[in-house]
Amino acid sequence: MTTPAIEVGTTLPAFVIDAVDPEKMKLMAALLRDPNPIHIDADSVRALGLGDRVINQGPNNLSYVLTMVSRWAGGIEALRTVQMRFLGNVFAGERVECGGTVSAIDADSGTATLDVHATADGRPVLQGTIVVAR
Amino acid sequence: MEQGPYAHVAGHRFPGGTATVEPSMNRLWCDAVCADDTAPHVHPMLVYYAAVQGSGVTFQDIFDLLDGSTDSGIMVGEQRFAFHEPLAVGETYAVSGGITDVQRKSGKRAGTFDIATFELELRRPGEDALLATSTTSFVFPRREEVPA
Repeated sequence: MTTPAIEVGTTLPAFVIDAVDPEKMKLMAALLRDPNPIHIDADSVRALGLGDRVINQGPNNLSYVLTMVSRWAGGIEALRTVQMRFLGNVFAGERVECGGTVSAIDADSGTATLDVHATADGRPVLQGTIVVAR
Repeated sequence: MEQGPYAHVAGHRFPGGTATVEPSMNRLWCDAVCADDTAPHVHPMLVYYAAVQGSGVTFQDIFDLLDGSTDSGIMVGEQRFAFHEPLAVGETYAVSGGITDVQRKSGKRAGTFDIATFELELRRPGEDALLATSTTSFVFPRREEVPA
């Protein structure tokens, strides 16, 4: 794959999950032996006052952003650094939309800096910066 | 912001060990996160879990260091990576690292909470060259504490 021609302000094609699937949360919890019940048991989420649906694993949400960036950048081997803040929870059934914009290009290092984010049903849930080779 | 009662945990080193991402694990991971199959490379987010698995501790061990029960609503607050080259599916990597920082914070909405950061490094066994670094901050709610 080749990296597309880019400039500051270039917008990445969005990556969208129409409805976060709770079954995939169960798969992830099993794969990782993650003991946190908020990913598999809605009653636990209610007991904590966090909502009434199970909560997607944070790294799953970040994975959506990484997929968006790696598709655009020509593969995961283009990823250099990632810095992401988790701003909120993503609940089962919500629509996640990831977006990003080129904020800087460094010709000396051959890298581009991307400002990226994700929303769940319109709420901000992830924000950060990813540097890729270009 | 204050150091809080768990500041002494900063500097705690994990036993370390090795990590191997098997092809089936990478494929299932990619399916679970709706990603393209990244083979022969390890999915970049899976580097985080591979690092934890190879660090010699479990998530529960990390929670226990901070007296965080699994039903207290522990969340990931921030994640950072530095990739020097992609990891390969099926290859074995050496993992080292530990807790680098613990800070206590409080807010009107969030109440009192501790942020614990741990950093893990991956290398080829017996080699010095760093291949990837994963830095993660967990948020531990302290509902029993009253914000200052």
